Amino acid sequence: MDGGFWGGYVWPGIIIILQIIAIIVPLIVAVAYLTYAERKVLGAMQLRQGPMVVGPWGLLQPIADGIKMIGKETIIPSGANRVVFMIAPMLTFLLSLVAWAVIPFDYGLVLADINVGILYLFAISSLGVYGIIMAGWASNSKYAFLGAMRSAAQMVSYEVSIGFVIITVLICVGSLNLTDIVMAQEGLWFAIPLFPMFVVFFISALAETNRSPFDLPEGESEITGGFMVEYSSMTYALFFLGEYANMILMSGMTTILFLGGWLPPFDFAPFTWIPGPIWFALKVAVLLFIFIWVRGTMPRFRYDQLMRLGWKIFLPFSLIWVVLTAGAVVAFDWLPN
Amino acid sequence: MAFIDRQARNFLLLELLGGMWLTFRYLFKPKATLNYPNEKGPISPRFRGEHALRRYPNGEERCIACKLCEAICPAQAITIEAEPRDDGSRRTTRYDIDMTKCIYCGMCQEACPVDAIVEGPNFEYATETREELFYNKEKLLQNGDRWEAQLAANIAADAPYR
Amino acid sequence: MPKLTIDGIEIEVEKGTSVLQACEQLGIEIPRFCFHDRLSVPANCRMCLVEMERSPKPIASCAMPAGDGMVIHTNSDVVHKARKGVMEFLLINHPLDCPICDQGGECDLQDQAMAYGFDRSRFAENKRAVKEKYLGPLIKTFMTRCIHCTRCIRFADEIAGVPELGATGRSEHMEIGTYIEKAITTELSGNMIDICPVGALTSKPYAFSARPWELKRTETIDVMDAVGSNIRVDSRGGEVMRTLPRLHEAINEEWISDKTRFAYDGLRRQRLDRPYVRRDGKLEQATWPEAFGAIAEAMEGLEGSAMAAIAGDLCDVEAMYALKGLMASVGSPNIDCRQDGAKLQPDVRASYLFNTGIAGIEEADAILIVGSNPRWEAAMVNARIRKRWLQGGLKVGVIGPQVDLTYRYDYLGAGPDTLKALADGSIEFAETLKSAKKPMLILGQGALTRDDGGQVLAATRAVADGFGMVKDGWNGFNVLHTAAARVGGLDIGFVPGEGGRDVAGILAGAGEGAIKLVWLLGADEIDSSALSNAFVIYQGHHGDRGAHAADVILPGAAYPEKNGTYVNTEGRVQHAKMAVFPPGDAREDWTILRAFSQQIGKALPFDDLHQLRRKLAEDHPVFAEIDRLHPAEWQPFGNDGEMGSAVFASPIETFYMTDPISRASITMAKCLDEIEGRAAAE
Repeated sequence: MDGGFWGGYVWPGIIIILQIIAIIVPLIVAVAYLTYAERKVLGAMQLRQGPMVVGPWGLLQPIADGIKMIGKETIIPSGANRVVFMIAPMLTFLLSLVAWAVIPFDYGLVLADINVGILYLFAISSLGVYGIIMAGWASNSKYAFLGAMRSAAQMVSYEVSIGFVIITVLICVGSLNLTDIVMAQEGLWFAIPLFPMFVVFFISALAETNRSPFDLPEGESEITGGFMVEYSSMTYALFFLGEYANMILMSGMTTILFLGGWLPPFDFAPFTWIPGPIWFALKVAVLLFIFIWVRGTMPRFRYDQLMRLGWKIFLPFSLIWVVLTAGAVVAFDWLPN
Repeated sequence: MAFIDRQARNFLLLELLGGMWLTFRYLFKPKATLNYPNEKGPISPRFRGEHALRRYPNGEERCIACKLCEAICPAQAITIEAEPRDDGSRRTTRYDIDMTKCIYCGMCQEACPVDAIVEGPNFEYATETREELFYNKEKLLQNGDRWEAQLAANIAADAPYR
Repeated sequence: MPKLTIDGIEIEVEKGTSVLQACEQLGIEIPRFCFHDRLSVPANCRMCLVEMERSPKPIASCAMPAGDGMVIHTNSDVVHKARKGVMEFLLINHPLDCPICDQGGECDLQDQAMAYGFDRSRFAENKRAVKEKYLGPLIKTFMTRCIHCTRCIRFADEIAGVPELGATGRSEHMEIGTYIEKAITTELSGNMIDICPVGALTSKPYAFSARPWELKRTETIDVMDAVGSNIRVDSRGGEVMRTLPRLHEAINEEWISDKTRFAYDGLRRQRLDRPYVRRDGKLEQATWPEAFGAIAEAMEGLEGSAMAAIAGDLCDVEAMYALKGLMASVGSPNIDCRQDGAKLQPDVRASYLFNTGIAGIEEADAILIVGSNPRWEAAMVNARIRKRWLQGGLKVGVIGPQVDLTYRYDYLGAGPDTLKALADGSIEFAETLKSAKKPMLILGQGALTRDDGGQVLAATRAVADGFGMVKDGWNGFNVLHTAAARVGGLDIGFVPGEGGRDVAGILAGAGEGAIKLVWLLGADEIDSSALSNAFVIYQGHHGDRGAHAADVILPGAAYPEKNGTYVNTEGRVQHAKMAVFPPGDAREDWTILRAFSQQIGKALPFDDLHQLRRKLAEDHPVFAEIDRLHPAEWQPFGNDGEMGSAVFASPIETFYMTDPISRASITMAKCLDEIEGRAAAE
């Protein structure tokens, strides 16, 4: 390449690493404080105070938890497959970070502005199920295995409707590039014309991230923690971090697909004064609040109800919407170029 | 009409939204939390906490070694040994309560004819070792001396109902 | 035979039966305080009121003899009201101090107040208070609690025969007491504690130490004398807390002597709780294997005839049987159970039994006591004689020590000469015996432990034959033992075998070196200083005389700590039961002997108590039956020859200390000081 060894490999490499760090560190901090926010919000909904002892208003609680987690002993069950057992949490955590490479925080503010970004995201989020299945199998415990089985079936079911929702959006955009998707929403967010799809996508996102009311893979009250039952210390923390990072990722995806990404809600001052990444973060925060809010409200689904919802309601519903959208786009000649 | 109404409700997820609205309102309600070590809830005069052996105002211990508490204790947590004291009165030489066995039923204080053994208002006596929870007579009398004012007030408050 | 109707049921009772007893025969409970089956009837508590038809007011059922055609109601409103009223009166002056009262939990007044009383008092005035009385080291008094049933007074007068208690004052000022402050001088005083229906008289040694509900009751047998009183041992957590009598009409009725009742504190003191071995002249603590090793070493190479065994007075038959087996296996004929040297032989069982049985005393109409002080040697036998004497028509003659026996007797003389004179008929009492329908002779150990004991035995047999004491269905020849183990020992033949030495012979042999090893099974009443040349093994429970002379000490079990068989002076086989475990390393005696026999390779042929007892019953059929008396065959016994002229003396010097247990007891020491000391001073 031009620029030789230093200019061609080292400096770009260092810059990419710095960019990665610039994404991951805030992300980890966000994950930490998401746990704090969840406990606070759930507490408030249950007329409790939530964490409030460590630091002012309990703000240092996530750090204390982190230190505690690191300080604990990693226990590997005697019947476990040690290699797979250790790889599983790493894989989950890794996948939840890798996806962030294609998320645009502002126009051009993206690590890898590839033209199949949405496919990439879809692929990565589908791979997430491997971490869970590996964990459940390697633990050599019936609870963990049950959790993993539930998780696999659940993710497969809801990815189908997520796929159709994405197709609907793609029909309206005409590009697989995430920046293009956001830019296509200038003036009108897809959440408005495609509102039912937005709802379907959000609910499926709950299922995809194993959040209440679809937290059957964990199911504390039935299978005592599901696939994570044998994990402790940092391995457990990795699952935990991965899951919350996934929540943020799904919120980010929802923002990009339906809420106009970094775009302000109205294209005039004072909204345009606020920089795009802030808008993006705000929208993600609102979605995360809804995640927690739903958890504070809904009881857990029964497994057959979960399957029924995925296959008998969301799938036909989103299929019909794909056809409807496509029909409307063709009929009114709204096809993007 | 009813059909349309029901379907509309289903599709608009009104019940879900109703639920969400309820929890959202609760978000802003005042908290019921008591900031425990700094704030404490009210305690009934009949509260059955840590045991104490009381004394008469002149300093004489009340317990007369009748062993009724030992007999009635359903957990058999009380052990008493007695013999005549030098002045010929009936007193215990040993009065042990195994606080790890005790179920805090309050039968001992019900059985006591002289209000000697009582369960006081104290419930903060966690220890670091198990042995510290094997109370002996000395410890129980000490408790009695420490809590006497409140114990007497509690007994007086509950007296009309006995 | 009057016939009466009680609560609609017709019943025919013996003449002279009271209404209360008639009710009892029907199983109807009548509450009472003053009435007691074995005491006279004062009818002063009024608790037993029942309704009788055609009587204007309720009658005291204890004092009303059952009459023909009486119609009694025990469950009517009148009766309930009467009981309630009487109970309220009784409680007027009774303090509400049940929580500090030792009677609490086993109190007649408490129980009956619960069952028949009123749940509150209308009495607002001051209650009466009475000063405590001093009644000696055994009885603690709290006279405010007294309800004036006078059971204790009647007991002292009638059963104990010491009219030392009485009531002074009248009505509310009535007080029970001795008038001048003194200890009650009777060996039966403890029974007043039992019969007191309230907590006025309680046990001093037991004071405040336990509650009846926390005690484990074990029904067993007493070994303080040879009577074999039935007792109940109350224990708590491995410690004997008290001893109470148990009803046995043929032995102790419902009384026991003070030694039986109060010597239990001796079980806690001076106990041997681990083996000791003498090393370099000093007894040092050792383990069981060390102790057995030392004995086995000492036994090695010894001829059987160089070994000997002596069984003490408190031994159970099992232990003696095991020791006899052990000595036989090493080839030693030198065994003896007669520490005091009594000249009794096991050949004729009738020669060493109290043949009439203790209950037989009540049939006798003339009793000759030879060389015995039954009041001290067997208080229950003496109480039975007094009971018979009170019924009238009984003549008692005594040859031997002249002491207060609580009943009047003809003192005939002090020694063998009088016995000879009686046999000749030259004493007036001979006429009494001759004319008696059921004459009886009680021969004490004081007449048998002498050198001429065998001759005395023969002479008394001649007297028994001469005065017709032995006839169909009546054998009036009675030997009164003082040691609980003696009859059992004689029954299993724990006496010198062919060419064997008796106790005197063993002691002499040890002195001159012919006996090199002596096994003392709880034998403390011998002159152990004579054994200094021999290797002495002491197996027992107290560090008493025998243990001091020992080279090896094996800790055994005392009577409430083992399952043992005892035979009382009547020949009645009874089983004592284990109430508590022996202290420390101590073991039941027969198991020690069984273990040692294994050590020297001559294992005794039994592994558990059941096998041992079966074997015992096979060898000696007497032991097959428990608590039964069978008449023993009357055959010639005793030694020919002239009796000496020394007077008969009682073998017991002090009633309160006769054995290792009572010698270790503080209570008994106090009694000795206060009661016997005072009695002697007067």
